[in-house]
Amino acid sequence: MVRPHRPPLARTIRRGLVLALVAILILIVLFPFYWLVQMSFKTEREAFQMPPQIVFVPTLQNYVSVLQGKFVRALGNSAITATTTTVLSLLLGVPAAYALSRARFGSDWAISLWMLATRMAPPIAFGIPFFLIYKNLELIDTLHGLIIIYLTFNLSLVIWTMRTFFDGLPVSLEEAAYIDGAGVFETFLRVTLPLSTPGLATTAIFCFLLSWNDFFYSLILARSDALTAPVAIVNFMNYESWEYGKISAGGTLIMLPVVVFSLAVKKYLVSGLTAGAIKG
Amino acid sequence: MAFLLPAAIVLFVVTILPSIFLIATSFTPFDLTKPNSLTFAGLRNYEQLLRDDRFWNSTWVQARLSFWTVSLQMLFGLGLAVLLNSRMRALEAVRTAFIVPMVLPPVVVALTWKILFTPDVSPINWLLGLLRLPQPAWLVDPTLALWALIIADVWQWFPFVFLMLLAALQMMPEEPIEAARIDGASALQVFRYITLPLLRPVLLIAVLFRLIDSIKAFPNIFIMTGGGPGIATEATNYYAYLQGFSYTFIGFSSAITVVMLVTTFAMSCTILRTLGRTVDVE
Repeated sequence: MVRPHRPPLARTIRRGLVLALVAILILIVLFPFYWLVQMSFKTEREAFQMPPQIVFVPTLQNYVSVLQGKFVRALGNSAITATTTTVLSLLLGVPAAYALSRARFGSDWAISLWMLATRMAPPIAFGIPFFLIYKNLELIDTLHGLIIIYLTFNLSLVIWTMRTFFDGLPVSLEEAAYIDGAGVFETFLRVTLPLSTPGLATTAIFCFLLSWNDFFYSLILARSDALTAPVAIVNFMNYESWEYGKISAGGTLIMLPVVVFSLAVKKYLVSGLTAGAIKG
Repeated sequence: MAFLLPAAIVLFVVTILPSIFLIATSFTPFDLTKPNSLTFAGLRNYEQLLRDDRFWNSTWVQARLSFWTVSLQMLFGLGLAVLLNSRMRALEAVRTAFIVPMVLPPVVVALTWKILFTPDVSPINWLLGLLRLPQPAWLVDPTLALWALIIADVWQWFPFVFLMLLAALQMMPEEPIEAARIDGASALQVFRYITLPLLRPVLLIAVLFRLIDSIKAFPNIFIMTGGGPGIATEATNYYAYLQGFSYTFIGFSSAITVVMLVTTFAMSCTILRTLGRTVDVE
């Protein structure tokens, strides 16, 4: 039996309904995000006005007061730790991923299991031992300490995603380089790496985002000097009063790089978040 | 080998050694305020854990939190993916919009929902008032506080399930569906007997990741409820944090963490084994 031909009017209505649903969904999904951002441009009094003002004169006062305080330093700490740990993870992980891809140890399941195991561990599982070790090594409240602990999730992520990427690169170009007399190291540096820029960029963004978004490790391992932005912003929540303006402005500043970067890698987002189970 | 060695050594130092250390501290009564308490005490922490009502409460909170967040995310994610599985150009806009919640820094998500659930400042409560519905004080009510956490988590992560399933649906072979249609199967039958079985591996992977993450949930609880009111939203992960870092009982906290790790591992292995039996993934 062939399905009866749908009359054009019914199809138009159906299409219209789906589009309306899509529009409502986007509104719901983006509303909390929008609410925080618009709040950051309002004065304290305007922020609490109900019904809320849709049209208002935006003020930068909240940003000015956030950027005059200690929060700037926290943003700097976040940027330094996230960048350094990304560079370190790539330096250590990319060659390892390359070796695993080319040497074919038949170790797929082992790496997969490893990825999943580190993904499963709640942050506190690493938090406790690192806290105790750092206390003895005097690494509590230092940027070095945070950079090292971020390697626990970044290094295996780099190895997994870059190995998948190298698997997809043709070996023939490398073989051509060998025939021309290039060594393993030179071939890797001159032939493979330049071909891998897209993979490297995506992986780097992932590492940066994971470290930038970290809350737990910074909460337990930093006190004041090494405090990163996600924990520093919580200090605007006092018992007696909430500094809503600063919270919303600070929150917007923290999520700005995240939104920009993740839209750049949106195609790879799901495979990056499921590393270990699905090849990207 | 020279390529592999540095990464292997670093990974060993930053992941294996701490894990061993964690298991070791779970056998000690270690208390941060008593530096000499790093002594072997056998299974005492684990025995204490079995008798600890607050621990059992935390597992119950955790179970409800995980059950509701994972099921609602799967339900919304699957429903939407099926509904929007077409080649409409508007879809690209949806995909982009849906990426936003799941990449936002967890702390920003938590603060935003804290604001949205605080009466007086909450536009949600204002809307409820307009509709002449009750305007609850979400975060101080024992039942609603848990639901506030569930709503925030579902909002952030159902797009993940949606995007995963949509990708799977769009890569699905069209032949079996066409064949079934020609044989007279209704849309519902096609979904039930063809689409759903083909989606099974992806569904299981989505459940696996959402389940793992639901057990790791921390910033939302820390910022929105602090485990309260009372201990109504004190999930296991948060309880372990309190014991270790608020009350300084590191040994006891390690034991909770080990139990949590073993449970997560066992559950994940069960899911992965079910998965392995149906299809060889990828």
